[in-house]
Amino acid sequence: DFENVLSPLCILDFCTSLGQSYPGKPKIIRCRSLEKETFSCWWKPGSDGRLPTNYTLFYSKDSEENFYECPDYRTSGPNSCYFDKNHTNPWTTYNITVTATNEIGSNSSDPQYVDVISIVQPDAPVNLSLETKTSAGIMYLWAKWSPPPLADVSSNSHVYHYELQLKPEKKEEWETISVGVQTQCKVTMLQAGVKYVVQVRCMLDRGEWSEWSSERRIQIPNGESSPEKPTIIKCRSPEKETFTCWWKPGSDGGHPTNYTLLYSKEGEQQVYECPDYRTAGPNSCYFDKKHTSFWTIYNITVRATNKMGSNVSDPHYVDVTYIVQPDPPVNVILELKKPINTKPYLVLSWSPPPLADVRSGWLTLEYELRLKPEEGEEWETVFVGQQTQYKMFSLNPGKKYIVQIHCKPDHHGSWSEWSSEKYIQIPTDFRVKDMVVWIIVGVLSSLICLIMSWTMVLKGYRMIAFILPPVPGPKIKGIDTHLLETGKSEELLSALGCHGFPPTSDCEELLIEYLEVEDSEDQQLMPSHDNGHPSKNAKMITKGKDSDSGRGSCDSPSVLSEKCRESHALPSTLQTQDVRDVQENKEGKRSWETECIASEQKILLFNNESTKETTWPATQLPDNHPPMFAYHSIVDAHKITLTTTNVNIASFLVGNEEHQSQYPITETVHDDMEKQREMENLHSKTDQTTVQVIKTRPNDKSPFLNPKLMDYVEVHKVRQDKETAVLLKHKENSGKREKYTVPGPSKEYTKVSTVVDHNILVLMPDSRIHHTSVIQEPAVEMSQNLQQGQAEKNMSYCLTVPSECKRETSGSEYMDPSSFMPFK
Amino acid sequence: MLPIAVLVYPLPVSLTRAALTPLPPPAGAAAALALLWLLICAPGDAGCRLLTVADLFDRVIRHSGRIHSLATALYEKHFPPRDNELGKSARKCHTSGMLTPNGKEYAQKIPREELTHLILKLLQAWKEPLSHFNQHIEHYQELPDDSLSKAKQISNMVHELKTGVEKVTEKMQSMGIISNSLNGMASSEATGLSISNEANMMSDSDFIHCFRRDSNKVQSYLKILKCRIMPENSC
Repeated sequence: DFENVLSPLCILDFCTSLGQSYPGKPKIIRCRSLEKETFSCWWKPGSDGRLPTNYTLFYSKDSEENFYECPDYRTSGPNSCYFDKNHTNPWTTYNITVTATNEIGSNSSDPQYVDVISIVQPDAPVNLSLETKTSAGIMYLWAKWSPPPLADVSSNSHVYHYELQLKPEKKEEWETISVGVQTQCKVTMLQAGVKYVVQVRCMLDRGEWSEWSSERRIQIPNGESSPEKPTIIKCRSPEKETFTCWWKPGSDGGHPTNYTLLYSKEGEQQVYECPDYRTAGPNSCYFDKKHTSFWTIYNITVRATNKMGSNVSDPHYVDVTYIVQPDPPVNVILELKKPINTKPYLVLSWSPPPLADVRSGWLTLEYELRLKPEEGEEWETVFVGQQTQYKMFSLNPGKKYIVQIHCKPDHHGSWSEWSSEKYIQIPTDFRVKDMVVWIIVGVLSSLICLIMSWTMVLKGYRMIAFILPPVPGPKIKGIDTHLLETGKSEELLSALGCHGFPPTSDCEELLIEYLEVEDSEDQQLMPSHDNGHPSKNAKMITKGKDSDSGRGSCDSPSVLSEKCRESHALPSTLQTQDVRDVQENKEGKRSWETECIASEQKILLFNNESTKETTWPATQLPDNHPPMFAYHSIVDAHKITLTTTNVNIASFLVGNEEHQSQYPITETVHDDMEKQREMENLHSKTDQTTVQVIKTRPNDKSPFLNPKLMDYVEVHKVRQDKETAVLLKHKENSGKREKYTVPGPSKEYTKVSTVVDHNILVLMPDSRIHHTSVIQEPAVEMSQNLQQGQAEKNMSYCLTVPSECKRETSGSEYMDPSSFMPFK
Repeated sequence: MLPIAVLVYPLPVSLTRAALTPLPPPAGAAAALALLWLLICAPGDAGCRLLTVADLFDRVIRHSGRIHSLATALYEKHFPPRDNELGKSARKCHTSGMLTPNGKEYAQKIPREELTHLILKLLQAWKEPLSHFNQHIEHYQELPDDSLSKAKQISNMVHELKTGVEKVTEKMQSMGIISNSLNGMASSEATGLSISNEANMMSDSDFIHCFRRDSNKVQSYLKILKCRIMPENSC
């Protein structure tokens, strides 16, 4: 098209007169892919029309109408276009045209259609080498070559098939051998004594065969030749007394070949033969001491001889002094020394090679050692000199080192091989670090000990008090003026043994730390609800032992518990026993026992039920557990006064324990019938409470079946908010140390206002007794009280020392003795 | 240090004179100092002490080793050893005529006096040729300065070594380790001179080659001698 368009522009006369014309039509010679991934096209330019001509290659792909220009005019040389991987698609037919353009016009080649797969033709293999070998007397040709090199090395993983052709030099016909994918070939059945020409070519998959590689020629030796000349490899003297020379034989020419070593010494004409071919192995000659001279030069040659002839090696000149190469040192010993007070160091010791006679002075060896950490790259080399041991100090602890040693004669010769690798583990340098650590540990521990002992000294008496509680005296503190004004307090005071009125400071020391009330009557009158929480009862009982003293905080409940266990076989039917009988029986001891038994049984039951029962019962009330704490022991404060006058120190325990008698159990002896009547009144009230509880838990009857439970009550709380009342509480287990103190002015509590759940007795101040109102106090309020009590808890702990307690609790008249027992 | 040494350990006057006279300053002074140091004072000692035969042997052995090293350096630098070169020239050292032990056993067998005498003879044989060689390369050879200085150093050291060996010999004779029969052999000075004329005819490479070989011989004989006399001393 271009031609047609442009040709009118050229006026024929004008053009021809200048001899210039549009370029001739170029011709695409061939397109070729070496490896299917790229391809190149070459063209032959037409005439240039005597003007500079540009050649442009355009191509289009079969599926597209676009024309593209050649991506690379250079790679494949002049007048070529190289399509790299990105421009080569094996599934596309390329339509290629070359256009030649000059000033006058242009000319396009005929289009060439290219399918990449069909134009694959690799380059010829390279590096063809030939070798003749003899195996089992059969001569064969061994040919090796390399695949064709590719411009793009990354695509050099193609598998080529090879073909080898050979012919005797003087013949025309080639013999072709298909090799396969290997790059070597063994050719047998060759004519001896003939020179062969060999070529090789390759093919990629189903493309075209490459060109034949360049020719290689080889003379196949016939059996008639003499051996090749051998080569002397080296001579070595291991100990500067003897030496050995080795040679490498050449081709033997297909015949058995003898090798002869001949030597002459400097300044001598005479030629000697090797004295010993055997000692040093095949193809070697050993010169013993007799045949070894120093300070002279040996001229050594090796002659190979077979029946066809002989060949002599190049001469080898040896000055024995300078070919001494000892064997490596032996007995390399690595030893780690750990001297006291210094860092550990490594001692290396070794022996000279056994052959070397270093004692004569004839051979003096110098040593060099090298070492590195096992994983290290670089050797650290140390020249040691003539000594055969060396100390290394600067080694990294915790690393494993490899050590090697070699040796060399002084001033001449060469280094031996390295000795075999020796390993040594440098231990971690624990000494310094551990010393520091141990010092710190020691200082700290001694400091702690010091502090502890100091504390012991300071607080010793308290600790002793914990362990061996002091004998408490009855103390009721803070009988306030109000109480005194009533006049009723006299009895109380006398009962407490505080004589003289008004109470002196001595009397004030008599704190009421523990108020206990025995109410076997109540127990009988009201069905107790203690079934679910027998442990509470048990605790209460144990409390009871020392209750009357107002102290007893340190008493162990276990004593009683054990006591109880002794008779735990008692059936529960006892619970149905008439309470009155027990009451009138007045045998507190016995009632105690039964109570113990009952409670012990309850304990067992309780333990089966749940361990949670150790919590404050009031909080438990709304929960599963039956209201077994509806109060059976109800005594008003007044009655306490009365009963305390009639204290029976009942050593209910077997009496072998002295302190039992010191913390006696208070037994209420109801001598006075009036008092008893009062009690009955109270009992009737408690009955009401009980009834209430029963109503709430109708199903759970068993707790009410135990009439014999006799509980001691602690003063838990003197409530001051509305109606000041003393809450008496069952002594329970150690978890409940809540204390109820009355911070307000001292008051006398003579009336029981109510029995709240969980063994809490609410006492009313004498002045205003509101039985009925308090009776119906719900358990919720109780729990509130509990919370208050917890707030006051802190005060409870120091009370083992009465004097301190007095200070801290000044103003609080009533305290819960249980709170004074930190061990519970 | 030097005057003290002389004061404390008066040397035989003849030896001192012999050591000092042939050496022109400043090299001569340095050599004399080195010699005196070599013979009298142990390096590192606070003062000087009476040297044992073993000490003297160690020093002369070390000294001969240094000479050999220098010779080797010179040889390898200017006359690189090639196997063919090694054999090509039918070189004949001027000392080749001397019958010397060419192996350990031979060296161990010959009498101590004879071995001592051989050492001295070898050193004597190189004294004059070395100084001649020095003058020669100074005038006719274009050797780098360090090679020239090496050659000079070798020449001086051979002098020192000879003096040292003589000292050791004296000492051994005085101690009865070797007999005084050596005196009878000392007459070979003249033959040494005649040999040295031969040496002057050698090519430079042959000369260095031969000297290197003989320095190695001397060292080896010294070591053998020492270990024969004092086998317990680091042998």
